[in-house]
Amino acid sequence: MAGRARVRARGFTRSPSASEVGYLQASPTPVSADPSDNKASSSSGFEDTSRISQQHKDVMSSGNAERALMKRGGKTFPDVMDLGVCTREKLTHVRDSKTGSSGIPVKLVTNLFSLDLPQDWKLYQYHVTYMPDLESRSMRIALLYSQKELSNKAKAFDGAILFLSEKLEEKVTELSSETRRGETVKMTVTLTGELPASSPVCIQVFSIIFKKILKKLSMYQIGRNFYKPSEPVEIPQHKLSLWPGFAISVSYFENKLLFSANVSYKVLRNETVLEFMTALCYQTGMSSFTQMCEKQLVGLIVLTRYNNRTYRVDDIDWSVKPTHSFQKRDGSEITYVDYYKQQYDITLSDLHQPMLVSLLKSKRNDVEARMVHLIPELCFLTGLTSQATSDFQLMKAVAEETRLSPQGRQQRLARLADDIQRNKDARFELETWGLHFGCQMSLTGRVVPSEKILMRDHICQPVSAADWSKDIRSCKVLSAQSLSKWLIICSSRAESMIEPFLSCLRRVGSSMGFNVDYPKIIKVQESPAAFFGALQKHVDPDVQLVMCILPSTQQNYYESIKKYLSSDCPVPSQCVLVRTLSKQGMMMSIATKIALQMTCKLGGELWAVEIPLKSLMVVGIDVCKDAFNKGMVVVGFVSSINLRITRWFSRCILQRTTTEIADCLKVSMIGALSKWYEYNHGLPARIIVYRDGVGNGQLQTLLEYEVPQLLSSVTEASSNASSKLSVIVVRKRCMPRFFVEQNRALQNPPLGTVVDSEATRPEWYDFYLVSQAACRGTVNPTYYNVIYDDNGLKPDHMQRLTFKLCHLYYNWPGLVSIPAPCQYAHKLTFLVAQSIHKEPSLELANSLFYL
Amino acid sequence: MPNRKATRNAYYFFVQEKIPELRRRGLPVARVADAIPHCSADWALLSQDEKEKYADMARAWRAAQGKDSGPPEKQKPVCTPLRKPGMLVPKQNVSPPDISSLSLKNDQALLGGIFYFLNIFSHGELPPHCEQRFLPCEIGCVKYSLQDGIIEDFHSFITPGEIPRGFRFHCQAASDSSHKIPISNFESGCDQATVLQNLYRFIHPNPGKWPPIYCKSDDRARVNWCLKHMEKGSEIRQSLELLTVEDLVVGIYQQKFLKEPSKTWVRSLLDVAMWDYSSNTRCKWHEENDILFCALAVCKKIAYCISNSLATLFGIQLTEAHVPLQDYEASSRVTPKMVILDAGRYQKLRFENSGFSHFNYSNQEPRSNTPTGDYPSGVKISGPNSSVRGRGITRLLERISGASSCEAALSPSLSPKGGYKSFSPLS
Repeated sequence: MAGRARVRARGFTRSPSASEVGYLQASPTPVSADPSDNKASSSSGFEDTSRISQQHKDVMSSGNAERALMKRGGKTFPDVMDLGVCTREKLTHVRDSKTGSSGIPVKLVTNLFSLDLPQDWKLYQYHVTYMPDLESRSMRIALLYSQKELSNKAKAFDGAILFLSEKLEEKVTELSSETRRGETVKMTVTLTGELPASSPVCIQVFSIIFKKILKKLSMYQIGRNFYKPSEPVEIPQHKLSLWPGFAISVSYFENKLLFSANVSYKVLRNETVLEFMTALCYQTGMSSFTQMCEKQLVGLIVLTRYNNRTYRVDDIDWSVKPTHSFQKRDGSEITYVDYYKQQYDITLSDLHQPMLVSLLKSKRNDVEARMVHLIPELCFLTGLTSQATSDFQLMKAVAEETRLSPQGRQQRLARLADDIQRNKDARFELETWGLHFGCQMSLTGRVVPSEKILMRDHICQPVSAADWSKDIRSCKVLSAQSLSKWLIICSSRAESMIEPFLSCLRRVGSSMGFNVDYPKIIKVQESPAAFFGALQKHVDPDVQLVMCILPSTQQNYYESIKKYLSSDCPVPSQCVLVRTLSKQGMMMSIATKIALQMTCKLGGELWAVEIPLKSLMVVGIDVCKDAFNKGMVVVGFVSSINLRITRWFSRCILQRTTTEIADCLKVSMIGALSKWYEYNHGLPARIIVYRDGVGNGQLQTLLEYEVPQLLSSVTEASSNASSKLSVIVVRKRCMPRFFVEQNRALQNPPLGTVVDSEATRPEWYDFYLVSQAACRGTVNPTYYNVIYDDNGLKPDHMQRLTFKLCHLYYNWPGLVSIPAPCQYAHKLTFLVAQSIHKEPSLELANSLFYL
Repeated sequence: MPNRKATRNAYYFFVQEKIPELRRRGLPVARVADAIPHCSADWALLSQDEKEKYADMARAWRAAQGKDSGPPEKQKPVCTPLRKPGMLVPKQNVSPPDISSLSLKNDQALLGGIFYFLNIFSHGELPPHCEQRFLPCEIGCVKYSLQDGIIEDFHSFITPGEIPRGFRFHCQAASDSSHKIPISNFESGCDQATVLQNLYRFIHPNPGKWPPIYCKSDDRARVNWCLKHMEKGSEIRQSLELLTVEDLVVGIYQQKFLKEPSKTWVRSLLDVAMWDYSSNTRCKWHEENDILFCALAVCKKIAYCISNSLATLFGIQLTEAHVPLQDYEASSRVTPKMVILDAGRYQKLRFENSGFSHFNYSNQEPRSNTPTGDYPSGVKISGPNSSVRGRGITRLLERISGASSCEAALSPSLSPKGGYKSFSPLS
């Protein structure tokens, strides 16, 4: 759906970044709706099974935190892995200071809380061995915890490694204990290390401590976040309930240990699978019941409230009943009815219900996955169906609850902090570890000056940088090719709409300096094959642009058109839905939007901002998994080719790997440089690369694998003085949130707010930038990490350049959350991964054909 | 103890090569086993081609170990997961025999030669620990020759059998994202034994040698597995030889131009969208439901692609059996670039017979003859490079047909006897 002219005449309720849409849309799975996503999830019904399985995996790997630590086999968490990568020390110009100074200082409140530790705080790591050796982890833990020596000490133990906040007297301590069966077990506790508070291992231990604390506040871990089932928000008219909760993390920021918390919600349906089945049975009748049931239920995520775990329904076993027995792990047989009675004190009412089957993902791929049977009566449906997400009323009701304003968010945070400090158990836990939960942190950010928008013969200072569509309404765009030979393909039903739309388009076009001639209109039947046939028959390389008026959102239309017109027969294409054109009142704004897109697709330039750096090339890279072929990764590479940074060279390469690390950057980079040479008769003096789509824990790989590729292609391109290169990692998801206090109420920070101290990391050259507007909810800052920098720009300049680049996304007349080249690269990879599945023709590379 | 007695695989050799570097980084790696955890990430980053180097080393090692290390058929991909084509039998080592014999024949024999394109769809791919890796659900096969285009086709749905417990979602999702054949309650399926019998009757109606069967390299592991699986379920035992279309294209191209085309070119030749909606391409069910993924359509589209880009080079007048003509008229405008590309490359490498040396090393099967590099060079050559401008297919055709008749007169004396066998099972 990426490239379709999604004409939004009204409102900037969502920033035009689609990756978050993808996240929320994970069709039936959007188990947690993070209110900070300041955008409605517009459904287009595409399915992303990888995301589902990903989430599923997350669910499985969580659970007991200690076990998680062990399961990872001593490996550190991915986020922690990144912390070991010190990029700043290699960048001499920011070694002393990475903070800028320009702009107006602004006081910001954050969602960070300080955690104080005594000066000489240390964590002691012990290794525990058992004699005779014990297999069972719970047995190991129980035996160790029963020891008097350890009973009143703060401890964390995963079955082999023991962490203590106080040192034991001896380096090696021998303990012995007796099991229930009367065996004597000897335990040897050996000191293996003393860790300072800054060690990454300590961060892990801290997060384990906080997991314990939240559990004491009667919050349950589901996935990675913690939710409170005892205080649900009910939306009875839609049979939904929301569990409020938090995503938390503990980490080292500039000079302090900080605890950060974000509000999160889990969407649950107040309907058990059994109820769902019964309703379905009445609806469809017995004959096709099993079939319908499988069709509707298989693949959904359910939550069992007795242990607050989520499972995916992989199958339905009609042959097993609750009265059947199964083998427990210790070998004894028990019926499901008795098991639930004993274990959870639940009495099952329907003894003839079938069982749901779920496969538990095992960490190692070659080991057979374990299957569990679940009772439909005890399983609650989670997430929203695609039917529900397209229900405007329902989504509005959910959004009203989940999209907290800064003020509401602050209240929730304050309450969490209060709970942690007041709850006796929680306080005790903190105190035994020697931690002190401090106050909410506030810091000073800067608001960089707003930018002027340069049009052809007009410089405009927009009223709001979030949306300047009104400001440029009467201005001419920088350059536009006139459109003389083009086609409209439409179904005969839509024919009547074409005429008013065309005249509107021509009028709008002429006012923005885009000359539109009458097209050849081809009427076809309403089927993908007919549209496709028309394309083959009428499109030849002389055609400048093809506009298809699609009768429905059916994927087939869009995919076949885009696939054919971007690789087999490279011609720019513009797809518009009939439904869009039928909105009479908004025709002007729809036509404006479409005209702007068409200008770009023909290689035109819309607007520019002033960029003082001469001879600068900016590059955006994004990576996306192919939706159809899971082993394929799509790498998008978009680079500017003129001095004004208004024209772009876009290239996309498919690579066959499992990691999201780009392989083929050299080809793209050299291609981009030669294109630059062609236009400017020289090579750029500076190159700045914005890299999006980097996962947690991939920083080192990026540094060792991608940066050298870019560097070598830059040095190869010229024999003498080569261009200077900077690489910046862009991240849209980050923990910190910033608010400003105005009239005693908290609000979102103004556009252009930069934070480069206190909430940043000491070992990186990094900063936060707020470059998107959120009219409802809380704004997400974007996080930038400069991992390589030859250019030696001052932090001030780097920040301002980044802000300027956020103005240049031609699909939205306003600021976007990430620099334009990144957004273009994202758009390109999304189109290729969702619809085209192969490399688009290079003939289109000079225009933004994917907008 | 790892790799002492067991066989050494490609990864082993990769790790071995990495050890010095790891030591330099200060890691305590004494043996390959110690280094394995440090190398997996790097290994994952290697491309299939890069891995091939190590696979070759492993193969060489195995060969050096002597025959007792296990017959090479053992490595044939019975249960190897899909998407590891490199781990299967090395592509070019198997297919060449046929192509090399092919390239020695004159054009006439090649043009009349019958190929079968086969594809079998599955309800997804199950993880490696499962015994059942695929659930065959649809089969398509096409009998094709360059001369006559598609001669016959065969299509059938297959009852996939019981879906392993717990994989319903997995299979459902895989099917929904591609061919959309329902995983249960689908009446049109035939049972596997019948389908296989029908397929064999289609491919091999008369006694004699079995013809080679081709499928795309990406699908090969799946098709192979499904064939083996269906054989197990029925009485029939007949080991079909499954070759890749890519190699066939390379072979035909070499026959014409005496050089090897680039891999990218071959891939782009086979991967076109223009016939996705052509009539009489998909099976009835997929056509009616307007679903693009159809096993029969895959096979037919291979035939169209080969007709469109290769058959024309031999001066064959394309008929309805070669490509869907109503679409061809419109689309031929779009692809003239292919011909230009060939001409330029061809000229450069005119007298190098690099294509032949490529095949020389790999003749494992006794029936294939060692190809002689002696090709009637220069006879048909003057044609292509002057005549190709724009869409000038017709002009090209004239030139070539003139040339190939010349060549036909020359070549019988040169063509070895074995060459015909693999191609003309019906004659």
